[in-house]
Amino acid sequence: MRRTFIRGLVPLAALSLVAGACSDTGDEGGEPAPSGSGAAPTTGGTDDTGTTPGSVATGSTPTTAEEVQTGESLLDTVSAADVVRCGVRDDLPGFSSLDDAGEHVGFDADFCRVIAAAVLGDATKVEFVDLETDARFTALQSGEIDVLVRNTTWTASRDGIEGATFLHPTYYDGQQMMVAADAGFESIDDMDGAVVCVAGGTTSEGNVATEFARRDLTVEVQSFEDVDLLQEAFIAGRCDGWSSDGSQLVGLRSSFPDGPDALVIFDDIFSKEPLTPAVRDNDTRWAQAVEWAIYATIQAEEYGITQANVGDMAAGDNAAIVQFLGGENADGVTLDAGLGLDPAFAMNVVSQVGNYGEIFERNLTDLGLERGLNALWGDGGLQYAPPYR
Amino acid sequence: MATTTGRPPLWRDVRVLAWTFQIAVVLVVVAIVFWLLDNLRVNSQRLNIPTGFGHLDQPSSFPIPGSDFRQTQPVRDALVEGFQNTLRLAITGIALATVAGVLIGIARLSQNFIVRSAARAYVEFVRNVPLFCLLFVMYGAVVLNAFPRVADSWDVGPVAIVNVRGASTFWFEGGNWKFVVALLSAGIVAFLVARWRSRIADRTGTPGRTGLWALPTAAVVLVVVWIVLGLGATAPEIDGARVTGGITMTPEYFAALAALVIYTSSHVAEIVRGSIQAVPRGQGEAANALALSGFQRLWHVVLPQAMRIGVPPIGNQYLNLAKNSSLAAAISFPELTKVTQLTVANRSPAVPSFALLLGIYLVLSLVISLFVNLANRRLAIVER
Amino acid sequence: MQTFLTEDLAVPPPEPPRPPTAGPADWVRRNLFRSVGDGVVTVVAAIVVGFVVFRFARFLFSTGRWEIVRTNLKLFMVGRYPADELWRIVVALTAVAFVGGLIAGFVARRHVVAGTVAPDQPVTRRLVALVGRLWPLVVGVLLLLFLSSSPGPWLTAAAIVVAAVLGRLAGPYLPRRSAVVLVLGSIVLAAALVWFLTRPVGWDRWGGIMLNLFLATAGITLCFPLGVLLALGRRSKLPLIRAVCIAYIELFRGVPLFVLLLLSAIALGFFIPTWLEPPGLVVRAIVVFTLFTAAYVAEIVRGGLQSLPKGQTEAAQALGLSPVKTTFLIVMPQALRNVIPALVGQFISLFKDTTLAGAAMGFLDALQVANAATAQDAFRGQRLLAESLGFVMLLFWIGCITMSRESQRLERTLGVGTR
Repeated sequence: MRRTFIRGLVPLAALSLVAGACSDTGDEGGEPAPSGSGAAPTTGGTDDTGTTPGSVATGSTPTTAEEVQTGESLLDTVSAADVVRCGVRDDLPGFSSLDDAGEHVGFDADFCRVIAAAVLGDATKVEFVDLETDARFTALQSGEIDVLVRNTTWTASRDGIEGATFLHPTYYDGQQMMVAADAGFESIDDMDGAVVCVAGGTTSEGNVATEFARRDLTVEVQSFEDVDLLQEAFIAGRCDGWSSDGSQLVGLRSSFPDGPDALVIFDDIFSKEPLTPAVRDNDTRWAQAVEWAIYATIQAEEYGITQANVGDMAAGDNAAIVQFLGGENADGVTLDAGLGLDPAFAMNVVSQVGNYGEIFERNLTDLGLERGLNALWGDGGLQYAPPYR
Repeated sequence: MATTTGRPPLWRDVRVLAWTFQIAVVLVVVAIVFWLLDNLRVNSQRLNIPTGFGHLDQPSSFPIPGSDFRQTQPVRDALVEGFQNTLRLAITGIALATVAGVLIGIARLSQNFIVRSAARAYVEFVRNVPLFCLLFVMYGAVVLNAFPRVADSWDVGPVAIVNVRGASTFWFEGGNWKFVVALLSAGIVAFLVARWRSRIADRTGTPGRTGLWALPTAAVVLVVVWIVLGLGATAPEIDGARVTGGITMTPEYFAALAALVIYTSSHVAEIVRGSIQAVPRGQGEAANALALSGFQRLWHVVLPQAMRIGVPPIGNQYLNLAKNSSLAAAISFPELTKVTQLTVANRSPAVPSFALLLGIYLVLSLVISLFVNLANRRLAIVER
Repeated sequence: MQTFLTEDLAVPPPEPPRPPTAGPADWVRRNLFRSVGDGVVTVVAAIVVGFVVFRFARFLFSTGRWEIVRTNLKLFMVGRYPADELWRIVVALTAVAFVGGLIAGFVARRHVVAGTVAPDQPVTRRLVALVGRLWPLVVGVLLLLFLSSSPGPWLTAAAIVVAAVLGRLAGPYLPRRSAVVLVLGSIVLAAALVWFLTRPVGWDRWGGIMLNLFLATAGITLCFPLGVLLALGRRSKLPLIRAVCIAYIELFRGVPLFVLLLLSAIALGFFIPTWLEPPGLVVRAIVVFTLFTAAYVAEIVRGGLQSLPKGQTEAAQALGLSPVKTTFLIVMPQALRNVIPALVGQFISLFKDTTLAGAAMGFLDALQVANAATAQDAFRGQRLLAESLGFVMLLFWIGCITMSRESQRLERTLGVGTR
């Protein structure tokens, strides 16, 4: 018996070795402080957008990080593979869900296509990777996907600790609460002691708890990984409320089995949820390429370029628009912004997928979502693209 | 090189060859492990991801249902909470699966045709479907579909209230530790009484009836301790849209426990049946010759010998159950795997978190093996 | 199976001698109403069992809404495999059936030659015996055929049966020494079929029970050699080898498969350099299943090795066989024969565990289809999980019970424990 026990100790010893090695490497790394074993979230290595290069590599001995930085970018890898691996979900109507043919459709899915159109010139060259909520950052970090467009809120600690670089928010959202219309709740204040179901591994879980604590109410937050299971549970009466980003709730309500009228969404918005595509840290070229693919849709809407008129616009006489669409200006010169993208990337994006407004309209307007914060800055919204010059 | 001692040359010396081969294998293994760890270090550094355990002191940012855990507490506490849930699931599951498995295993050998056939149908069905399916059936089809909403709860006075939010029953007022104290003292007294009775039985030859003595004594002690400690009782009540008071079992826990017990009990039943059949028939016939009753034959003669054969495989089933408790993550029961997944989703680095998770399961498995080995040693025949 | 009913009653209590009677009345008395207590038990059990059977039958024939299974039958079986490539699966199944029949015929003739079975039984009797052996499979296939709404599955089934029969008829005419060729041919065929099936779509759109079967088959095939090596290593006289093998076995037996799958699904990228493309998820699942099951197989094989008398090895050595020959020609065949039931049990549990891969890695395997189908627009919110999950459980039950019955049969034919 004793021998069996000792035998059993061997793997344990091996494991502690592994663990030891892990923490050792943290100390050994020394120089780049954030990768140390006890890094606090606020000392994450990137600054706010992460697009400034070398914030980590600077000051460190020539590490692999730097080699990667100066050497191969995902932009080259993606171009060579001729496909963009885009992390999405498959169960959220309006943002990313499967149609009858098993194809991904929705707002997020379209932005994956935007990226493929900009980088590879073909919007169909996307490999959609369906991700569970709690696996999404690890999938991004470990290189399972090239870009994460999965309804993901940009937060400080995700920016810092998760090794993600967030780009431009494609959708400004906020968390809300949905209840059954016949449950007798008028507002969150009526929900003392309620059970609230949320999608697990999201910012929603903590937000609900924080909001109820702020209002001096008790709450039990039950999280589900699977939205389908969450809906079953909600229908069965497992929970009183269903809390998530407002856009998600509207989408889910629109396809609720008992009809949208069976559910009420409270007006209170109790968090900021900028839903933002993300790429890995320390790959500025790839980050810039993806970021400008997104900006292109916004800029196109601002210029009034649509899928229908993009051909005419490119042949038109507005010099700025012609330059934006990658045409030759009056002197026969084409602007290459040095982003590693084809000069005509905006042309590809708009002709193959559409401008921001078209993408929004196609996927979200039918669900009953207003432009709201996501209108162009000229219309009182927040969507604003830096000038393309 | 051949030397004067007449030993074979190095390249023909079996011992040298053996050691060279061994060292080569070990070097290859070490090299692979080192290569993996080095990749981990490089990749983590490249991505700015911490490789240590500093995340344990960060706020967890998620609440855990069915407990007092708040989202402001550190990840460390969340893991402790998750581990407690895993233990609750594993220990309760092991106890119930043993009882159910032994009963079904005996029923499988019953002389009664209906009992025998029903037990066989149960075992042949449950053993051959995936546990994961059973888990989803218990949660999705049984709990969510068949249990009533709060307003229509199955309400059996203070004894039980069952609805889709959980099953509640009456409980000791004011904390579990008092319950543990009461239960422990009752258990100790029961043990002492049982020993005293069996000593008397050994000395005088009269029937010991240990069970008949020990169980009522234990119940009395339990009640006395309960009164002495000044424990009240709380009964569950329906209060609007929620159930207050008593102790509540969450539906996720119920579903996970039910699935684990159903699945494991079918395996235990097969082991019990096989072990009983492996006991030589002469043992039972001898018991008959001594005019023991059916129960006495089973309890004093057949089962103790069957246990000797059955304990190691049943121990393996315990291990499996403990590891299978990780599946409960799929129905959102916040056991250790689920909590780890949540922490990884909330900024904890994946590799250290999962390394810790694997380590904890490994220790849990070792502890269970240890207990099984101890039991095995106690039961083993002492050879002369 | 039949023996359980007659022999395996624990130990019958002493019965008063009585005139030997037979017939239903006597059977009822002995099996249902042995004593007053027994009678009470019978009545109570009959009520309980009757209630369960009634509820089950009502669910099956009346309250169950099986439309969800009928509509999604293709998803349940093959996932999102493209409809116009389905012929590949038919071809693959037909080829497997033919080779299976061929091997069965070949083995059967060797048995006849060896005199272990009586030759020339009438065809009808052999058919009845075959159906009696494989009734869960036959019933399952018929059920699937009646659920299907197109002629495709019928044609497939017909092709498979014809191929199997042809193979069975051709098998006995193979040259006597073609066993090695058959084994190698099967391996080549398996690899060719995998290539053939993945050609149009890669792994991505594999799904349904097909994916579960494939993962299980691949895992079983690959884990076996590794498991045998580990078992030998664990019994090796070389201390370092033994230590490595023990560490491996205990490590993999001590951790949950689900967590390993999760880990490989999301964190593999950390452990390989950037220039190395991480393998696809299906490959990873197969690797994890292989590594995990090999540890269990190793323990089972070790048990078989330990149960073997030392005399076998000594006799082989006395004949002058090399250690390698001793191990693989003398020791291993006997050890493996002794542990066939345990091995098959492990393979059954691997087959069942393939459902974990769906949840951990996001495959659309049979279980995930069952979950996803209830979220389709046509079935959303109608509480159909019992029906869809019930169907998946049936599929797995058919596979597992067939394996376990065949292993019991094999055990009997090989006479384990009787020699």
